[in-house]
Amino acid sequence: MRLWFWRRKTREAELNEEMRAHLEMATQARLAQGANPKEAESAARREFGNIGLLKEVTRDRWGGRFLENLTEDVWYGLRMLRKNPGFAATAILTLALGIGANTAIFSVVNTVLLRPLPYKDADRLVTVWGYNRARGYDTDFVSPLDFADWRSQNHVFEGMAASTDVQYTLTGEGEPRAIIAYAFSADYFHVLGTAPLLGRTFLPEQEQPGKNHVAVLSYACWQKRFGGDRDAVGKNILLDGAPYTVIGVMPPGFQYPSFTELWTPLTVSREAAQDREYRYLRVMARLKPGVTIQQAHSEMNSIARRLAQEYPKTNKYEDTTTLVSLRDMISGDIRPALLVLLCAVGFVLFIACANVANLLLARATGRQKEVAVRSALGAGRWRLVRQFLTESLLLGLAGGAVGLALASWGTKVLLPMFPPTVFNVDIPHIDNIPMDGWVLAFALAVSLVTSVFFGLAPALHASTNASEPLKESGRGLAGGAEGRRLRSALVVAEVAISLVLLTAAGLTLQSFVHLAGSNLGFHADHVLTMRVFAPSYKYKTDAQLIAFSRQALSGIRALPGVQAAGTVTFLPLSGWQGNRGVALKGQSTPENQLAVWNSVTPDYFRAMEIPLIEGRLFEERDDEHAPPVAVLSENLAHRLMPNADLLGKWVDVEGLEKPVEVVGVVGDVKQLGPASQTIAGIYLPFSQVPAPIICFAIRANQDPSSVAKAAQQAIWAVDKDQAVGFVMNMNQLTSEVVAPERILMLVLGLFGGMALLMAVIGVYGVIANSVAQRTNEIGVRMALGARSGDVLKLVMSQGLPLVLLGVAFGLAGTFGLMRFVSSLLYGVRATDPVTMAGAAFALAASALLACYLPARRASRIDPLVALRYE
Amino acid sequence: MLEKKERYQNRIELLQGTLDLLILQTLQWGPQHGYGISVAIRSRSGEILQVDTGSLYPALHRLEKQKWIRAEWKVSENKQRAKYYQLTAAGKKQLSRELSKWSQFSDAMAGVLNPEQT
Repeated sequence: MRLWFWRRKTREAELNEEMRAHLEMATQARLAQGANPKEAESAARREFGNIGLLKEVTRDRWGGRFLENLTEDVWYGLRMLRKNPGFAATAILTLALGIGANTAIFSVVNTVLLRPLPYKDADRLVTVWGYNRARGYDTDFVSPLDFADWRSQNHVFEGMAASTDVQYTLTGEGEPRAIIAYAFSADYFHVLGTAPLLGRTFLPEQEQPGKNHVAVLSYACWQKRFGGDRDAVGKNILLDGAPYTVIGVMPPGFQYPSFTELWTPLTVSREAAQDREYRYLRVMARLKPGVTIQQAHSEMNSIARRLAQEYPKTNKYEDTTTLVSLRDMISGDIRPALLVLLCAVGFVLFIACANVANLLLARATGRQKEVAVRSALGAGRWRLVRQFLTESLLLGLAGGAVGLALASWGTKVLLPMFPPTVFNVDIPHIDNIPMDGWVLAFALAVSLVTSVFFGLAPALHASTNASEPLKESGRGLAGGAEGRRLRSALVVAEVAISLVLLTAAGLTLQSFVHLAGSNLGFHADHVLTMRVFAPSYKYKTDAQLIAFSRQALSGIRALPGVQAAGTVTFLPLSGWQGNRGVALKGQSTPENQLAVWNSVTPDYFRAMEIPLIEGRLFEERDDEHAPPVAVLSENLAHRLMPNADLLGKWVDVEGLEKPVEVVGVVGDVKQLGPASQTIAGIYLPFSQVPAPIICFAIRANQDPSSVAKAAQQAIWAVDKDQAVGFVMNMNQLTSEVVAPERILMLVLGLFGGMALLMAVIGVYGVIANSVAQRTNEIGVRMALGARSGDVLKLVMSQGLPLVLLGVAFGLAGTFGLMRFVSSLLYGVRATDPVTMAGAAFALAASALLACYLPARRASRIDPLVALRYE
Repeated sequence: MLEKKERYQNRIELLQGTLDLLILQTLQWGPQHGYGISVAIRSRSGEILQVDTGSLYPALHRLEKQKWIRAEWKVSENKQRAKYYQLTAAGKKQLSRELSKWSQFSDAMAGVLNPEQT
């Protein structure tokens, strides 16, 4: 580098001397012909021409000029920016907002949709599901028998493995803890292609009863339970009171499925190994190289069809399959929201660019003289464009740097989009959004591209007819009309895009208000929830389960501040649900109505304040010895008997031997949250249909957190080894369940606000600039008798068409684009006329206000001052 | 504007590419500096061909970069330090190539313009 500079310097000196020698020789030749010295020299110079240009062109022949020009341009650009700090700060801040917002959204997209999954060739991993046509289950679980046939008959997968979720209670130290675990078939880790960090994974024989008390720990569990001790392998942990040997630890990135703390071998029970109706397995498969997911799908469908023919009794309605790539499975429902955000943030960046381009164009007017002088001194057009672009790049890079800082803060704001506690398989579990190399590269690329985008038009514009201003007594506005047209076009585009963003923001706002205000069917205020899994090794009989719940509930009810306490199997909003087929007695078919079932204790309805519509609620007398009864939701009652009263009728419930009598109908409870249509359908008395998953719902007089500790103690008083999990206020659940929608609304609202602000600033800038340039003309008009009202009209008539045109384009764009957000909206149509009109009105009003301010200033111009200004 | 146009009309524009040939040919008679080359071309063409310095020096530096000519600082007959250019071996070959191209070109031009003479 230094050598290069040194050589460059020498050559520069040589070039100077060469020129000087030429001039001297030319002068001497003229002297020899008898001219006087002064004339001789000036004639020689005249003949020689533009020395600066000549040197410039000659230097170009040496090559390697690029770097030299770049350093020159950068220094010059920095000087220009320092001379005008207000402009520089405005431009950099505008760009920083645009680039920062983009980088933040991109880092989320990068984390959720793009980041490679921590498995070998993860693109070849697919999840395989049954498809029950009769029930409309498109992702049905798979029975061990079907799975065995799938695995042996297919030719498209390299490997196929099965898993199912299990719950364990980890005891032996501190408070007992409920653990989310998965039972993996022995080859599961192999199909995923991840090797353990320590130890090893399961051997096939460890699927056998008696040999299956081994566990592989997740990295987090290993850290928490063993403090990262490398000797953990070989030690025992107590799961459900039985010792399990730790045989391996998985690396930190491995977390499949989300939340899983440890894995145990999948052992198929004797019943499940004989009945194809035991569908509880989740299947993961690895495609053979070169096989597409479509090919695999058609092969799996033909296998399912064959099985349906062979075993019509069990498989008649299971004659197709569903294949979902692991990537889609993991990103799930958040994908469309992220794509909408990505699109919206691109719009924001466009508006930011347009604003900066506007600033540059306005500044170009002020720099005409400078450009003219540079051009006269021999700067070519391309050279000028390059200089301007270098300045844009400086702005863009500075904006990008500030934007990166904004983005790292912004990702923290976006993190709540992925609620941490609700176990919702539709949304990925993410606990941090890293700014990795891809994000940095993205920010850099965006900065560079935007620099060219906002800088090119002003640069081309400023360099056309660069030398004109020098010729016209230094006053004319070279290319002024063209520049104004360009700026006007930019403003129209800004207004149009802002309208699209504002409309999107308005729609998501309404959708969120609709969701958050929608009736869930219960009152979450003052309700505390806890969840226990009663382990089967300890609670072997129904009577033991019933006794446990009775004693625990009576302990909790005795606590001061507790109004009511009940239990339910699948707590609403927790993301869990169970389905059973329900039919009128004697009318059972495979196409039974499927209903979310819950086994509840009598006070559950009171604790959740679920209203009784007709009949009665459960009472203590509905115990294991009484005739079986059920309470239905309004929705299910109507589905079973649309036109008649179901009270007193008997229904068959899948899994129950005897029909149950409907004794009451209660209000509909949204099982999975306001956006879902899933309703808790049928309630059965806990003492008649006990279930090992027991969720407590405790209504307190005051803040429910105040009774949390005491309520757990009440459970431990009954069973000191019982793990109590999911202790939280019901309100937190109602908030988390709409977290993605809330973030979408907030972020789109923020973008809409930014867009509105920038569009208004853009309009203001153009009008104010034009007023400044026309001060003279306005002065003349006023001197000739124009009143201030006329001037106001004159200036407004320049702004009004721009705003209206922008709004018109914006409305057209809204109609075209809003269908992409329609899948994210609840309770509001994508083409909601009120929202559109409101957004258009708000935008037009603010933009006209932005015109009015400079117009009023213009109308108060003192003609004398304006003319003297000349 | 007018003035400028007239000046251009008084001069025969050099055809694209011919400047290289003229420079190489001039250097065939021995090393010469930039001023000398322009004087030589002007006088040998009977004052018709005027080489613009704005084209001459970029061309010289380009030819030097292409290694067809070599530069050397010497003191001129008037005790003036000047940069002398001279042909290299590659430059001589290039000159003969350019010459044969030129004679082909001028024959062709002549054939088109005066068909009866051929």
